[in-house]
Amino acid sequence: MRLFFSGIRKLYRRPATFVTFGLLVGLIVLILILAGATASRTVGTGSASGQSSRAAIKDLLTFPGAYDRMLSVVVSIGGLFGMIYGAAIAGSEWSWGTLKSAVARGESRVRYMLLSYASIGLMIAIGIVVVFVIADVAAVASASLAGISTSGLSDTSTLSDLPERLLKGWVAVMEETALGFAIATLARSQLAGIGAGIAFYFGEGFASLLLPDIVKFMPFSVASAAVSTGSGSGLGGGASATASLPADQALVMVFVWLIGCLVVVSLFSDRAEITG
Amino acid sequence: MIGTGGVRMGGAGVSATSGAGGASGTDDLALATRGLRKSYGPRRALDGLDLSVPAGVVYGFLGPNGAGKTTTMRVLTGLIHADGGTVEVLGKPFRRGDRHRLFEVGALIESPTFYPYLSARANLRELAASGAPVPSKRIEELLDLVGLCDRANDKVQNYSMGMKQRLGIAAALLSDPKLLLLDEPANGLDPAGIVAMRDTLKTLASQGKTVFVSSHLLAEVQVMADVVGIIAAGKLVREGPLKELLSMQGVIKVRVRPNLVDGAIAALAPLAKAERLTETDRDEGWLSVHLGTNRAEEVNQKLAGAGIYASGLESGTDLEMLFLELTGGQGPSSSEGEFVGLGSPNGAQNGGAPAGKGTAA
Ligand SMILES: Nc1ncnc2c1ncn2[C@@H]1O[C@H](COP(=O)(O)OP(=O)(O)OP(=O)(O)O)[C@@H](O)[C@H]1O
Ligand SMILES: [Mg+2]
Repeated sequence: MRLFFSGIRKLYRRPATFVTFGLLVGLIVLILILAGATASRTVGTGSASGQSSRAAIKDLLTFPGAYDRMLSVVVSIGGLFGMIYGAAIAGSEWSWGTLKSAVARGESRVRYMLLSYASIGLMIAIGIVVVFVIADVAAVASASLAGISTSGLSDTSTLSDLPERLLKGWVAVMEETALGFAIATLARSQLAGIGAGIAFYFGEGFASLLLPDIVKFMPFSVASAAVSTGSGSGLGGGASATASLPADQALVMVFVWLIGCLVVVSLFSDRAEITG
Repeated sequence: MIGTGGVRMGGAGVSATSGAGGASGTDDLALATRGLRKSYGPRRALDGLDLSVPAGVVYGFLGPNGAGKTTTMRVLTGLIHADGGTVEVLGKPFRRGDRHRLFEVGALIESPTFYPYLSARANLRELAASGAPVPSKRIEELLDLVGLCDRANDKVQNYSMGMKQRLGIAAALLSDPKLLLLDEPANGLDPAGIVAMRDTLKTLASQGKTVFVSSHLLAEVQVMADVVGIIAAGKLVREGPLKELLSMQGVIKVRVRPNLVDGAIAALAPLAKAERLTETDRDEGWLSVHLGTNRAEEVNQKLAGAGIYASGLESGTDLEMLFLELTGGQGPSSSEGEFVGLGSPNGAQNGGAPAGKGTAA
């Protein structure tokens, strides 16, 4: 427990935490406001492309469906940020040598790394809820900008499903975070971890065009499939797979990846020679 | 940095040292390694290292660059695992999985490591969350001990090298360890810091703690260590109480007229074998005789008997010389013939040291 709370304190004081959070919020709000502005500008135009993009934006911003859309946005963009964040935290333990100090004090390497991941989990849980709320507020603002009705905002059945949806979203982001965490542990470096993670993210998005049947099992695809409700497209980087797994199957794959990554982290940390 | 200036209470347990290669009797040792081997890929770093560190002493762990000091420290703290051999820490075996033994050990290995974005105080606090529990007032005591109280809330990324080193020493002392492993702790410390650290380490040893410290500052080790171990190429080459080692390693320096150097060598030949007789600086007429320092009079007498009168005579013992001799004294130019290189005697008592040129530095 000491280590877990220490992990939280370390993350709370860490500039990267707030930089990541700020960038994520900024990006999502920017996208939504731009969407609203685009839709409001295309209102009067009669062109076909203007009409279809307005329809897509209307689909994105109309509640209660917009709740799901916002969650998809948070999970897909948040997943990328989570992965970078995980890589930064795990990588710095190696490159700063702080893991070395703990191990020399008799701390268990596996416990240390896993509890550090667990404290990231708490920060991300808070982050997801806050970002989701901000995204919804931005969507409402954007919808009114575009003249889209927000009457579905208080749809009770959607609202009562939200906690479970958010929980799934958190698990999905945690899986992507675990991936960054594992890559950075293997690379023993934050930069290498972040770089490899980003390459993975875009590589997966690109590969989905060529090998959709394989890519649908890959970490980012399963993460977005696990939170999707089947309708709509959302905004997905690596997640824009054409073929995707059904949500419950995807959730199982999310757990497989998450646990797999943590096993890799544990095995590697346990065996690694710490010579930094 | 306060020195706590405690008085040493003699080298308790010093006599317990076994010589190099003494295979048994690790009972009253704070730290013992037997046949320790470690390779990094094809490169062998430790090659059957036997160390015997008695409890309650300051142990100077010496060796040239790349001799395996840091590697040894890493093995002792479980950062890497030996390929072979055994380690005993505080009287009990230390193997893979015995990490709890380290709860009684404090270490500073190679360079101190911290979260740059946290303050010194926060770094110690978070480090204390790992390993053995630490009372929070201990952190304040240590910040005071290493003289960082005033700057304890500053981020470590803004620290100078010596300040980081001080904080690293504080971190090593966090759990009030019975065994302290310090890898070149004087790195970057200012002179006052070095003196204070020396006092602190001696005080710890006088309290029964064991301090295992590697250093290249031989003069520092000479005044601080009770026992030294010298390694080269991953093997122990000499180990024992410092006084004993040095008494066998006396040196008497004589200055004669330069044209009489050969005569002086001939006159002193009965006292010391050729390899114990060193011509340090022919132009200045300095000679060194490796002899117990109590035999300085005899040297003088022999010279006088041959009609050569010394214009200078110094005697002293020097760890540096012992070190260079045992480790092959890889100085810039080891001298020719049977004359061995001689380090400049900055550890010796007498001032006015000869110019010791053309010798290992
Ligand atoms: N991480 C590593 N990978 C490969 N070889 C290494 C590694 N660390 C040390 N070595 C090699 O092991 C040998 C011993 O190195 P070590 O760092 O233990 O020496 P040292 O006695 O601490 O030297 P110094 O006085 O320079 O600190 C050297 O030959 C070094 O090149
Ligand atoms: Mg070293």
